[in-house]
Amino acid sequence: MIKASRIVSRKFDIPGSHTLEVAKTHGAYDALSDAFAFSPAEIVEVIKESGLRGKGGGGAPAGTKWGLMPQDDPRPSYLVVNGDESEPGTFKDRQIISKDPHLLIEGIIITCYAIKAHDAYIYIRGEYCQFQQILQSAIDEAYAAGLLGERSGGEAYRVDITIHRGAGAYICGEKSALLESMEGKRGHPRLKPKQKEPEWYFGNPTLVNNVETIASVPYIVKNGARAYREFGTEHSPGTLLFAMSGHVEKPGVYEAEFGTPMLEYIEHYGGGVLGGRKLKAVIPGGASTAVLTADEVAYATLDYENLRAMHSALGTGGMIVMDEGTDMVEALKNLLEFYHHESCGQCTPCREGTGWSDTILGRVLEGRGRSEDIDKLLELADTMDGKTICVFAPAVAIVVRSFIGKFRDEFEAKASV
Amino acid sequence: MSQTEVVIDDKRFVAKEGSLLIDLLIKHNLKVPYFCYHEALGADGNCRMCMVEIEGQKRPQIACDTLIKEGMVVRTKGENIESVRRNILELELINHPVDCPICDQAGECKLQDFYMDYGLYDSHIDQADKVHHQKHIDLGSNVMLDQERCVLCARCTRFTADITKTHELGIIGRGDHARVSTMPGKKLDNPYAMNVVDLCPVGALTSKDFRFSQRVWFLTSTPSVCHGCAKGCNIFIDHNREKYKDETIYRFRPRENQAVNGYFICDEGRLSYKALQENRQVERDRNGAVCSEAEALKAYCKTLEGAKGEIIVLADPNLYREELVAIEAYAAHIGASLYAPLEHYRDEDFADDWLKSSQRAANAKAVEILEIKTTLPVEKAGLLISFNHPDAAQIKAEKVISFQTHIGKDAYDLTLPLAVFSESAGTLVNEEGIEQYCPRAIKRNEPIPTVIEWLTQIEGGDK
Repeated sequence: MIKASRIVSRKFDIPGSHTLEVAKTHGAYDALSDAFAFSPAEIVEVIKESGLRGKGGGGAPAGTKWGLMPQDDPRPSYLVVNGDESEPGTFKDRQIISKDPHLLIEGIIITCYAIKAHDAYIYIRGEYCQFQQILQSAIDEAYAAGLLGERSGGEAYRVDITIHRGAGAYICGEKSALLESMEGKRGHPRLKPKQKEPEWYFGNPTLVNNVETIASVPYIVKNGARAYREFGTEHSPGTLLFAMSGHVEKPGVYEAEFGTPMLEYIEHYGGGVLGGRKLKAVIPGGASTAVLTADEVAYATLDYENLRAMHSALGTGGMIVMDEGTDMVEALKNLLEFYHHESCGQCTPCREGTGWSDTILGRVLEGRGRSEDIDKLLELADTMDGKTICVFAPAVAIVVRSFIGKFRDEFEAKASV
Repeated sequence: MSQTEVVIDDKRFVAKEGSLLIDLLIKHNLKVPYFCYHEALGADGNCRMCMVEIEGQKRPQIACDTLIKEGMVVRTKGENIESVRRNILELELINHPVDCPICDQAGECKLQDFYMDYGLYDSHIDQADKVHHQKHIDLGSNVMLDQERCVLCARCTRFTADITKTHELGIIGRGDHARVSTMPGKKLDNPYAMNVVDLCPVGALTSKDFRFSQRVWFLTSTPSVCHGCAKGCNIFIDHNREKYKDETIYRFRPRENQAVNGYFICDEGRLSYKALQENRQVERDRNGAVCSEAEALKAYCKTLEGAKGEIIVLADPNLYREELVAIEAYAAHIGASLYAPLEHYRDEDFADDWLKSSQRAANAKAVEILEIKTTLPVEKAGLLISFNHPDAAQIKAEKVISFQTHIGKDAYDLTLPLAVFSESAGTLVNEEGIEQYCPRAIKRNEPIPTVIEWLTQIEGGDK
């Protein structure tokens, strides 16, 4: 039986929840008074204790990241909220932005206070035009109500929020590429630092967190770390806005606690596989995670550890469900077209590898396949894996390997036509 | 930073802790392939070619983004790492046109070199499947771009962004559609633009001035110093003597010298080679008639003997120090007063705060050190002997003997041809006092005498 767990999505079903008036009657901004009663360092501590993990796909402990922000640096600190949600199969952040933007604003105020930042930027996916408008009017309302600005939340603490719209590049969801983009440059991921350090926006210490991560903060600050840990597993505490798309009866976003069995989730919230057909495979966490066969789905649970043990990943929690009629070669081609289109082109293995993989599979689908094509795809996956600046190419490698590894007979049948 | 010891391919090396591993590899000629790294531009990490194995690291690492640590054990060779490089190189090549015979970069192309070192496989891609881009785009400033030959190392864009700060070049498009470009309607336009041609490791950026004029393997490179101003930028003179033709200079290229010019030269200096072979004075000219060398020497001695009043000798401050010293001694010998006027060579418009100096005379510092007068003589002379000085016509003199490298508009009593700097050898002292020796690069089929060769003949005839 699935436990109702609505932390972030609590107000989603309330009509007009995106307006300040409705949101306030349902408890919006209540956590601010709790937050300002703490010292900034205490809030960071609470977040650490809660075990809150970054909900943008990586799942790194948020508290650790917050702890990297300097507490006494002469340079200004910045908070950047990553709303560049572009991962195929992932459409959760936009639910928060459009249905409960005030929860996000509340989280931003608290986070800014905790990391001693006064300016926050929300980097929103360029295609999210309509959601950006909702978010902007929520911000305007918050300013008008004195919740943002010089005396944020009625306290003597300034918080200003600016929305920065992306220009349509998937890679700008990668935090360093996002910052490059915000600095007005091409969205190219940066070389990784040699030691643990914050991100840098124009040379100033910066925290980059996903929309849902920040939206989880008010609950934790208000109810305490222990309350948050009542949901989820020991290592994956709390909840996630899991999402389902593909061959399910009721695709959508449904919040659930970590550790929920995948099949149960699909049955309970998604109403099972479309048309009562047999399940063939699920991509568990946005396109860039290893595909799971129906047999694997049977014992998968929705948490970071379990899926990692299955050589896949929880990622963004956006599940793409595929029924028995799905052609896995076509499915992989669809994904490769996406990666080919979105590779930023900075590193050679990714720039050329994604394109060539796409070309080879295209050739196979056109009936021009060669016997060595399938192995060549695997070899390309090896060349793309772990040899680039960011994890885009390694993700492609994982996808290619899992599709071919688990459904090799389908690929060979097409290649040898 | 302290010195530390590292092991590379089982050999020990001493290096600064925290310095870049790739610099150490380059310094000791431990070959790793790379496109994007350049000492002047730093690490960018995009080509992923300089992969090495580092003990304790699960995955191969790029040497350009690896800092030297104490006790580091590095392997640049071995089956594993070589196959990694080979596979990445194959990716560099899949969309690259394989038409080296018609590419101007052939012979000095890194892609070609690395293919010979690490590649050597058959193509796995059909010509029809290759991504095509624009070819022969005139970027401006004599730079031509072939987008298909580009490996997107971003050296050129980083040069215009970080070094000249003019930002003309950028990369547009994503993935395998990424390509170098200027903004629409804009040109590459800065006084150092042609350096991107040298920076480009492949045939994507070529010089409009040089391309298709010579295959590079026929060229001889002689180290020299640019005579465009007193900065003394180090160059290579690339020259060749084609069958039945005279020795010809095809280009100047910058030569690295951290004490002077770093890695670059200005475009004006780069193109100054042309003047060395245009409009040259080759004949001896006595009162408007061509004469033999013997006749010329005879006329010289006669003019010198018959000189009434003061003799003035003018020396061009571009001449080598050895030549200036010889002229100084000769002037003393014949009782003449020597001048090397600098006024002509002041050019504030040329100067910038990097490599271009407002002092356009290459050896002005040597003139100063030799204590030669640098003003223009005002008195009327009985005889003026000018060694290629551009202001010779301004001196009032009864008789004028002019040794000159180029044909001028003024007629003199005796005009004698003189070798240009590439045909002579000697020392330049740059404006910072750095002495630099330039060997002779060019030997003409019919040599034109240098200052010292002329003086030797004149003094020999004197006796």
